[in-house]
Amino acid sequence: MLKSFIQIFSSLKLTVACLVLGCVIVFWGTIAQVHIGLYRAQAEVFHSLLIYWQPSGANWKIPIFPGGYLIAGVLLINLLVAHVRYYQLGRKKFGIALIHLGIVLMLLGQMLTDYLSVESVMHLRLGESKNYSESERGGEIAVIDTTDKNSYKVVAVPCDLLARRGDVRNPELPFDLHVKAYYANSQLSDKAAPGFEPVKATAGMGTSLWWRELPHETVMERTDIPSAIISITDAQGPVGTFLVSELLGQPQSFACNGRQYELVLRPERFYKPFSLQLIEFKHDRYPGTDIPKNFSSRVRLQRPDTHEDREVLIFMNNPLRFAGDTFYQASFDSDDRGSVLQVVHNPGWITPYLACALVGVGLTIQFLTHLIPFLKRRLA
Amino acid sequence: MKYHPTKTIITGLSVILLAAGCQREQVQVYRVDKDPAPLPVTATITPSSDPTPPAATALPPDHPDVSAATATPDSTGPLTWTTPTDWTEVPPSEIRVASFKITQDGRTADVSVIPLGGMAGGDSANVNRWRGQVGLSALSEDEIQKSADPVEIGGQPASLYDAGGASDTAPRIIGAIQHRDDTAWFFKLAGDGKLVEQQKAAFVEFLKSVKFAGMAPAQAGLPATLPPGHPDISNMGNTSTDTTPISHEGQPNWQVPTGWREVSGGQFLAAKFLLTNDGGIAAVNVSRSAGDGGGLAANVNRWRGQLGLPPVTDVSTSPVDVAGGTGSLVDLSGTSAQTGQPVRLVAVIVTQADNAWFYKLMGEAKVVENQKDAFVKFVQGAKY
Repeated sequence: MLKSFIQIFSSLKLTVACLVLGCVIVFWGTIAQVHIGLYRAQAEVFHSLLIYWQPSGANWKIPIFPGGYLIAGVLLINLLVAHVRYYQLGRKKFGIALIHLGIVLMLLGQMLTDYLSVESVMHLRLGESKNYSESERGGEIAVIDTTDKNSYKVVAVPCDLLARRGDVRNPELPFDLHVKAYYANSQLSDKAAPGFEPVKATAGMGTSLWWRELPHETVMERTDIPSAIISITDAQGPVGTFLVSELLGQPQSFACNGRQYELVLRPERFYKPFSLQLIEFKHDRYPGTDIPKNFSSRVRLQRPDTHEDREVLIFMNNPLRFAGDTFYQASFDSDDRGSVLQVVHNPGWITPYLACALVGVGLTIQFLTHLIPFLKRRLA
Repeated sequence: MKYHPTKTIITGLSVILLAAGCQREQVQVYRVDKDPAPLPVTATITPSSDPTPPAATALPPDHPDVSAATATPDSTGPLTWTTPTDWTEVPPSEIRVASFKITQDGRTADVSVIPLGGMAGGDSANVNRWRGQVGLSALSEDEIQKSADPVEIGGQPASLYDAGGASDTAPRIIGAIQHRDDTAWFFKLAGDGKLVEQQKAAFVEFLKSVKFAGMAPAQAGLPATLPPGHPDISNMGNTSTDTTPISHEGQPNWQVPTGWREVSGGQFLAAKFLLTNDGGIAAVNVSRSAGDGGGLAANVNRWRGQLGLPPVTDVSTSPVDVAGGTGSLVDLSGTSAQTGQPVRLVAVIVTQADNAWFYKLMGEAKVVENQKDAFVKFVQGAKY
């Protein structure tokens, strides 16, 4: 069995097949962006094992093509197995070994980045301080116990998980959440309108609203607005049925078992052990024009556990790297009174640099391995 | 034993597919401090008590709300106050714009000033939240309204609520809520019952000492006390006074209807007019913003928030012919966030190539009804 495995996965034909399939999905993914948007194209074509086809209106789908992860995974195994099978010890092949190692590291690093990295944004208005960033795409339903004097206890359920499971039970909550309806993208109205249906909520802000489901947004600058109808039930019976939506923005309060809770659908939050406060935002323009020259945010960084307290200037190509996060100057508010920092948490950030260095050194060694004997022969 | 390459491939693929089933999404449970411990001030940040912070002026009532967050600490404007003697000012954290600690005989109390956008969930919900924090059950809206004591903050009326403190050591919260334009201001004194009781008088004096620069009620010819049902038409961030000359720089050419009285709109408004009719009052605010000013939906929803209406994605407007194109007219009725009285808003957004003009008529329903035609003609007649 091992012999068969080595024969199949060390095949050069498999390498070529993977490269061709890779080219196909790059083309596929590029075209798909037009129809399903950048983020869904990335998720469905590149960050997937298989690409699925779903007939319009159907609730089933079938795999029709290998996805990016499958192709890259097979290519990685192919590279490793071929290396084990064919590599011969010796100085002449050392450069080749380094090149292969670099490519393997690049593939592994990209997978690591896809799996472990988290991208989010921190939107700060002047004077505002935050110790969390928020996802640009993913939402969460947060149930917040506000009863305690000094702290909130938060149970956060990702929207995708909620939609998939339908019910959420957590030992930290004295009640169950049941999703009666979930729209990944939605629209609300305060009056009856074609296509809208009444929100079947019994409590909170949604009792007098109408809603409807919308297709996913494909325009990059726009995002889906998820909404859901959540019924809350404790041991005594129903507590209430609420409409939650990113559009509502504000939490809705209810009481259960003598404790006060808030329910809110919001962008997924990533809390930090430190906070940033926007002290100053500058949007410099070239004199006499509206052409942007520079954007910069002066922030105050405070970390209570280490008593670190300092000011940092973040501007384009000069991010703040702190506690495993990198804060880039990404955008700003149209009134120049707010700044948007892109927050990247990527434990595998070093791997592309190492991989490129290894490949570069490997190519140089391999080149010199041939060049030096050649020059010696010519000079002899 | 015979080896089957096909089986090998199928086995490998199965392992990969199973791995794909593992999702990163999971329920997370965590605690978040309500009031993270403040650090000593060592940075050169301008404290919010600075009467002239570098860029902490408020957005005007008609300025497009470009902030998606509910917290609007930048809308503090140049907030000033007199700190009571026993209080220690500490750097504000999170969404606070001012923060104080009181320590006496081993007891501690905390004072916070927090502005939140819109109605911030409503007064009742917030008072019940405070009651929950001190172990009391929720009250009905009527009971909460009856429990409110009048208090003055920045020269304008506000409501004071008192919860808890059944014993010296029991937690107690005294909170005041005031609505100014589309911002709800929360002033809260929280701590041990005995200390809070001792500090109550100082807290009330502190509230009286708070000033929002340029927001004196008598500004721009406004009466000291607005009639019931009248929306708060004072202008946050308005640094002008009665004697400030009204600037017409940057204004379109327009014909001001008879009976409208132009007053200073401050640095954020292009123009401001007061309208009175049969004892009622309304105001017209005109402002300009670069680009589309945040878009139609965002601005309409901001106005809806001022009337206590929930936001919608399906914004309905009526077309209005204006100079150089078509404007979008919005007509909304609701409840004033300041007074709880019925109020009506008629607004027109005129979008141009590189900026947008916002015209807003807001006030008592009968005045708005009487002035609506004149208002629309005023907007239509403006030449840019």
